[in-house]
Amino acid sequence: MRRLLLISRREYLAYVRTVGFWLSLIALPLVAVGSAFFMATMANSSEAREMAVLDLSGAGIQADFIARLNSPGRVEVVATPPDLAGQTEVAAADAVARDLVAEEGGTLDGVVILTPADQGLAARYWSSRTTDETGQAAVTEALSGLNRTRALVALGVDPAAVDQIDATPPQVTVLSPASASGGEVSLQDRLPGLIGFIVAMMLWSLILTGASILLNSVMEEKANRVLEVLLSSASATELLAGKILGVALVTLTVLLVWGGFGGMALAYAARQGGDFAPALSGALAGLGRDGLWFWLMAYFVGGYLMYASVFAAIGSFCETPREAQTLIGPIMMVLVIPVFVLQMAMRDPDLAIVRSLSWVPFFTPFLMSARAPSGPPLYELAGTLAVMGAFIVLVVWLAAKAFRAGALSTTKLDWKGIVSLVRGGGA
Amino acid sequence: MSSILSLDAVSKRYGAFEAVKDLSFSVQKGAIVGFLGPNGAGKTSTIRMILGLAAPTTGRIEVLGADDGRKVRDRIGFLPEERGLYRKMNPVDAVAYMAALKGLPMAEGRRRARALLEEQGLGEALKRPMKALSKGMAQKVQLVSAIAHRPELVILDEPFSGLDPVNQQGLERMIRDLADQGATVLFSTHVMQHAERLCQKVVLMARGAKVFEGPVAEARAAAPRFLVLEGGLDQAAIQALPGVVEIEPTEAGFRARLAPGAQPQAALKAAFERGLDVTRFEAPEPSLHDAFIVLTGDDR
Repeated sequence: MRRLLLISRREYLAYVRTVGFWLSLIALPLVAVGSAFFMATMANSSEAREMAVLDLSGAGIQADFIARLNSPGRVEVVATPPDLAGQTEVAAADAVARDLVAEEGGTLDGVVILTPADQGLAARYWSSRTTDETGQAAVTEALSGLNRTRALVALGVDPAAVDQIDATPPQVTVLSPASASGGEVSLQDRLPGLIGFIVAMMLWSLILTGASILLNSVMEEKANRVLEVLLSSASATELLAGKILGVALVTLTVLLVWGGFGGMALAYAARQGGDFAPALSGALAGLGRDGLWFWLMAYFVGGYLMYASVFAAIGSFCETPREAQTLIGPIMMVLVIPVFVLQMAMRDPDLAIVRSLSWVPFFTPFLMSARAPSGPPLYELAGTLAVMGAFIVLVVWLAAKAFRAGALSTTKLDWKGIVSLVRGGGA
Repeated sequence: MSSILSLDAVSKRYGAFEAVKDLSFSVQKGAIVGFLGPNGAGKTSTIRMILGLAAPTTGRIEVLGADDGRKVRDRIGFLPEERGLYRKMNPVDAVAYMAALKGLPMAEGRRRARALLEEQGLGEALKRPMKALSKGMAQKVQLVSAIAHRPELVILDEPFSGLDPVNQQGLERMIRDLADQGATVLFSTHVMQHAERLCQKVVLMARGAKVFEGPVAEARAAAPRFLVLEGGLDQAAIQALPGVVEIEPTEAGFRARLAPGAQPQAALKAAFERGLDVTRFEAPEPSLHDAFIVLTGDDR
């Protein structure tokens, strides 16, 4: 134990004493704040599209359509230019509209020409850009509403009643006995699911970061011939465990600092009022419910231990990143799978494929972290954890064996060579 | 003296390749023992088995009373053939860390590191990172890190390789000091002069097997003796001297190989009795190098 702690202490200090560590530590929060600021600035600086409307439908609906199309900050309908207003034929109106939105000499972002159609009205939308989803959506929405109202009026419905129905948003109340209140599902109930997804993604990225740090550290020691000296002073298991613990402390430091920044951001958001503060405190209380923190921590620790052991063992066979790349490739492919499955788990955590893959130890930490907040059956939580635990024992045992064999080997190896070295009991 | 290390019929096999074959030898407490052999003789494999870094395929090893080197690793100091220390650590921290792994408190390790490094003339480099040190300096640091915890058994794998003559002399002094302080030293080398000057006993290896174990003088006796004869000499007359089995001409005379057990004095006496014109006669003691060549079969 003494040696294990010494090794982990050296490993930890070797990283946190570097300038690069502190730079990367503050880089992410700075990038996050910068990105948020940039996106907010972008959103505020987006200009409304200037459009003109010409009604050639013969239905006299220009004013009604303009009222529906006008949308502050999104679409601003201007007075129809005289040369466009004078047109009565679609082809001629098209020619004028083309000039009005032309890249050179054009004065408008869009021109809408309303025409009659077999059922209701149709629109020809001239845009200054080929990709103008905002403009197209606004025109489609306005025309759809207008067509529906006209159809209902034709059926004898009072136009005022149609407007009133349109102005009233549908009221859907989602209820579940599994919610915090036992009835209505609120933001407080949805936050844990989101937190689970975030935890799963964080675990995924931390495993990659931590395991890569370990891989490089072991590789450096192998290349510098330190491993053999260390193995004469400590057992392969102590060395492996010490390094894994040291890097775990490094990632924990990162988590604490990032968590601190995140906490400050949440506190700031909570102070702004609204529904967020009570929802957040409720969600945090929800995480404590049913031992959710315990499950998340267990999957987190287990996942890190499993992948870190494998990466460290691989590092002991390599002296250069190129050698490592060949061996790490298959593991990276395995690590990509949960990223796709997590998106499915986010939409429906009880999908059969998500539930099945949760039992595969390589995927368990990610998928179960995402699923745990949605309250899967206890046998799934405990069962997947037990299977993963047993698998970790096997992986760590094999990794320690491989680590010892790799540390003393001098030949370049492939997977087949590693297996034969490990079976042979070392170099 | 009691035995501190003993190997009994030890073999190590890697697949079809047998790196060490039926090796047995012992090392007495307080001795300096040379573990000699050409490259690929099985020295490093044997050392790894002694340390417990690799398990013997067959046979038994007892080191410091334990049946596995790992059980007594804190009492052993080890310098591997391929040197390695953390490049960004300074010598004091590197030595203290390695000593701490062997059970020495960190503060005491630092104190000893400073004293030992200063003794080795590295006082100016105590705070420099390892990567800024010369190869010789780094090697001294590595050696200090192997002995700072005052081990009972010191195993040095090719400790002289890469050192200049002055540093080699310093290392020889250091090894003698270790033995004077009561430590037992086993070192591997293929440079016989060091073993000749330092060792009470040598173990010679060739192609994975032991070819000799015993005192240096006994090893030397295994080498053939030669006579150097100069003057107005006739090849046939030299060939006819008692004990001479082979001769080769040199610039001023001949070099004659004697049969095992033949006495140089008998050849000298016969030369005078036969009135040969001998202006120089020499019968140099065979060196350990000569014995090494013969015993390891490298003369074939």
